Amino acid sequence: MLSIELVWGVSLLYIALIFLVAYYADQRQKSGRSITANATVYSLSIAVYATSWTFYGSVGKAATTGPDFILTYLGPSLTAFSWWFLLRKIIRVTKENNITSLADFISSRYGKSQWIGALVTLIAVMGIMPYIGLQLKAVSGAFSIITGHPDFHIAFLDKILLPSPHPGLFTALFLGTFSVIFGARHLVSSERHDGLVAAIALESIVKLVAFISAGIFVTYFMFDGFVDIFSRMQLKDPRLTAHLTTFNEYGETSYANLFTMLYLSMGAIMLLPRQFQIMAIENSSEKHISMAMWLFPAYMFLINIFVVPIALGGILSSGSSANADYFVLTLPLQSGHPWLVLLTFLGGFSAATGMLMVESVTISTMLLNHVFMPIIVRLKPRSWFPILLINMKRFGVFVVVLLGYFYQSVVGETYMLVTMGRISFAAAAQFGPALIGGLYWHRGNRIGAITGMFLGFLIWFYTLLLPSFVKSGWWQSDIPAKGLFGLDFLKPTQLFGLTGLDIWSHSVFWSMLFNIGAYLALSIILGQDEREQEQAKRFVDVFEPEKIKMPWETKRLSKPVTILQFVNLMTKFIGETQSHAAISEYLGNREIDSKGGVSEFELPNLKRFIEKTLAGSLGAAAAGAIVESYLSDIGSKMESVYDIFSTVRTSLDQSREALYVRLRASEIMNRSLDLQIIMEDLLELLQKEFKFDLSIIRLVDEHGILTVRCYRSTGSQQITGHSWQPEIDTHIGEAFLGNRAEFVNDTQYLTKPKSKEIMELEGIRSFAHIPIASEGEPPMGILSVFSKSIVGLFTEPFLQLLGSLAGQLAQAVKIVSEREAKEMERLQKEAAQLENARVLRDMEIAKQIQLSLLPASFPDLPGVRFACRCVPAAHVGGDYYDFFLREENNIDMIIADVSGHSVGAALIMVETRSVLRAQVHSTTSCTDILTVLNDLLYEDLTRAELFITMFYANYNAESRILNYANAGHNPPILLRRGKSSCTELDAEGLILGVNRAVSFEGKSVQLQQGDLVLFYTDGITEAQSVTGELFGTGRLCTVLTEVFEDEPQKIIDRLLKEITEYTSSNLLQDDISMVVMKVN
Amino acid sequence: MWPKLKSVVLQSLRFKESWVIFFILGIIMMNYPFISIFDKPTFVFHLPLLYLYLQIGWLVSILVIYLFTKANHLPKNQEDKKGEPR
Repeated sequence: MLSIELVWGVSLLYIALIFLVAYYADQRQKSGRSITANATVYSLSIAVYATSWTFYGSVGKAATTGPDFILTYLGPSLTAFSWWFLLRKIIRVTKENNITSLADFISSRYGKSQWIGALVTLIAVMGIMPYIGLQLKAVSGAFSIITGHPDFHIAFLDKILLPSPHPGLFTALFLGTFSVIFGARHLVSSERHDGLVAAIALESIVKLVAFISAGIFVTYFMFDGFVDIFSRMQLKDPRLTAHLTTFNEYGETSYANLFTMLYLSMGAIMLLPRQFQIMAIENSSEKHISMAMWLFPAYMFLINIFVVPIALGGILSSGSSANADYFVLTLPLQSGHPWLVLLTFLGGFSAATGMLMVESVTISTMLLNHVFMPIIVRLKPRSWFPILLINMKRFGVFVVVLLGYFYQSVVGETYMLVTMGRISFAAAAQFGPALIGGLYWHRGNRIGAITGMFLGFLIWFYTLLLPSFVKSGWWQSDIPAKGLFGLDFLKPTQLFGLTGLDIWSHSVFWSMLFNIGAYLALSIILGQDEREQEQAKRFVDVFEPEKIKMPWETKRLSKPVTILQFVNLMTKFIGETQSHAAISEYLGNREIDSKGGVSEFELPNLKRFIEKTLAGSLGAAAAGAIVESYLSDIGSKMESVYDIFSTVRTSLDQSREALYVRLRASEIMNRSLDLQIIMEDLLELLQKEFKFDLSIIRLVDEHGILTVRCYRSTGSQQITGHSWQPEIDTHIGEAFLGNRAEFVNDTQYLTKPKSKEIMELEGIRSFAHIPIASEGEPPMGILSVFSKSIVGLFTEPFLQLLGSLAGQLAQAVKIVSEREAKEMERLQKEAAQLENARVLRDMEIAKQIQLSLLPASFPDLPGVRFACRCVPAAHVGGDYYDFFLREENNIDMIIADVSGHSVGAALIMVETRSVLRAQVHSTTSCTDILTVLNDLLYEDLTRAELFITMFYANYNAESRILNYANAGHNPPILLRRGKSSCTELDAEGLILGVNRAVSFEGKSVQLQQGDLVLFYTDGITEAQSVTGELFGTGRLCTVLTEVFEDEPQKIIDRLLKEITEYTSSNLLQDDISMVVMKVN
Repeated sequence: MWPKLKSVVLQSLRFKESWVIFFILGIIMMNYPFISIFDKPTFVFHLPLLYLYLQIGWLVSILVIYLFTKANHLPKNQEDKKGEPR
């Protein structure tokens, strides 16, 4: 026997050591240099599977029923083959979804159902109860064996506390406190607990070393090795030896039982909540799996290698298999090795505490997230919630441990350790179908999982747990003997008349049959809702992320929520630091708009991120519920985007539908060149396909105003009456000026007052304005669509579709307007040509009239002959010559030139002629006429900015005297017979139209027979050659000298010929007029 | 190029299958009727036959997994992109 004080002291020291290791690991984790993030520690931590059951119970089992104990460890070794596929997938899913526990995992998979989470938690708590009872019993049993006192016992407490000691109560309180301190320190559950893992790994080493030490002591010190033990056993009791080393046909070592145990343990290594916690949630890298795959089975092998020798050794030395559970302690104790006893006790203590630590962490997390949280989330979030939550978690730990204590005190004396543990295994097996099915089968649904697990749990309770209560005598009932309600076929151990099986196989058979059956049947018969489908994809296709991600968002928030609102929500549950860190990680380089929100299409993503972050502490189901209820508080909710094609389709089909609409649209564009028809058909198409209540096409007119060009509407409305000056205070203006689609999915939350008023008036729920613009060009109009019934109509792909339709329309508008511009240009050209032709014709007429105004010939007076000619440069000209017969032998001659060659010049010439004709008979002298003319024409000439040069002459045929006056005209040339030089007949006088009062010099000259006088305009002397040289008076004089003897008409012809040759072209720059006078 | 690709494909195929084969083999060897071959109260090398069978079988299975994981880590450069189990 060892003293109580020694055992207490060593136990406390050992606990202190564990705390120290855990503390050190935590510190290392905080500084980012984790000691537990390696494959060896991971493998050792999985060995938490080996509990007191392994440490004490295996020996007990080996000493009573034989080899079936080993199945509990062979099963996990076999399962290890599948880890590279199965465990890796579980870990991947766990990390990607911030899973916190097994219950969270299953509830997440089935649409984040709170009911499933609660059911899994219930099964886990009830199922784990015997397992924890087992640990308490083992520790208190071991304590009493080595000290001789019952329970984990403190002497002075006996006097003040309970008069009749409750066996195991102190142990329960002691271990419960230990678990609270250890397991429930933090709220966050999805993060790794480095301290916990380090402690578990250390304990795994301690229990292995302790057990092997005891094994070596028994095998090689008490006996002479394996062979010796078996030989002595065979010698002592061959029948018992055969019983303990072979399987049998019936009972607990039958093949049926073998089968059952193998599968239970194969499942248990994955399905026990604490195994899930250690293997999936505490895993730091998927790479660690491959080492764990062989190291963990090796650990199991090592810890079991001495089980049979110790069991047989115990029987040999004690003579029977009574109290065989504690052979590992009693053998060293009896042979007087107290330190070995203490080491072995610590090994068993490690095995129990390790299990309790992890179990309490995971069960309390499950309780908090799936039992307490659903109630808490219905309350209004408060600032003290984090404190409440952590304390509820601690409370949960105590509840779990006390439940174990309850079970142990009720059943403990009746069952062996292993038997109690197996009840837990059978409970854990109920998670199997939902978990494995959920990982590999898309169709597995919530109803199936919940029904299957519930039925399995019921049958487990009825066929295993209930009989254990009755057998212990705690509950007096004749149900096991006579069946429920006295119905024979409802006997718990012979359900539906099934006999011949041990209680495990019987219970597992029925519970799994109903579990799997209900899961499969209901999953096939009933469907999944959208959320379940999404979650199922996340789980089953976790290795194919491209399958999980939808090409576009199918959900929207009915009322936008700002980032700040979300952060405040998170703060209430997980504290300020954590929520701020999370949100800044999320935002990264995402765009935030001016109101501190993300775009409408980004919102569902943000919401999912908030849920995921909260899920890391509270579990997916509770996190989902919190966010949902928060959203509903502020009047928002997650809703499906409206399916514009009004049928449920996959993304591929949807894009096909969109393609169809585009195709139809381009048909419309190509069918007609009339823009009005195109616009009407397009709106018709939109109306038909998308059920808009109103759709409008506005195009910007030449004044920059958006004018309604076409619309379709199902009812009366006034919107089409508006033409908008595009301004930023309306959505349509914003769409036009910003050249981007503006949409409002719920007009309830409109911020622009002007728009809100209009939309309310018309009863419009959602609308969008899409700019009609070609790529890279400013918009030329707006396509507006309105719906009066559907909120949340406009999704990203839908807006893309509308945008592409608007783009097509822009092309059509562009083509039409280009075509119209071309047409206009052509018409203008034609009109101009027509006008030109008309003017030309008029000019021709004017020319004809003008020419007809000039005398074709001069009258022949006695002794003098005339010839005249006018060659106009333009169609009409300003040259003028004329004559007036005063008497029979007296004639007036005029030659004049109005400046310019325009119609104006021609008109002035006509006016001059009229005035002259009116005045010629009331005046007598040449100077008088010029003076009168100047006076009469001055105003008109000034107004027209024209002037006239004029030479006026009077010739008397009898006296042969030529009187003349000149108003700035080219002086006529006089060539006398016999003289070769020319004389210019010049007189002083200013051009007409320059000054009102002008005096003209009158001159006269006596002509003789044979004299030649040429009156001409400056068109002759200023005719230019190709080189720009003027014809000049000198050349004119020379020509005149040559043709002096000819007839006047010939002289004119010759002169014209000379000039034409000189200019070497038919086009004259100026009018040419001349009158030749020859005296006979 | 082709022989190399072929060997990679063959290797990975063989791998995935053999993994499953050994798993199933383990289950078969641990179940009736196979286990009844060794389920006899006889002694081999002075040790019970079933005890020997289970212990040796266990060791072999651990060794097999060990070899698998070694092989799994060997052709690291040929690991496919998806991270699918091979």
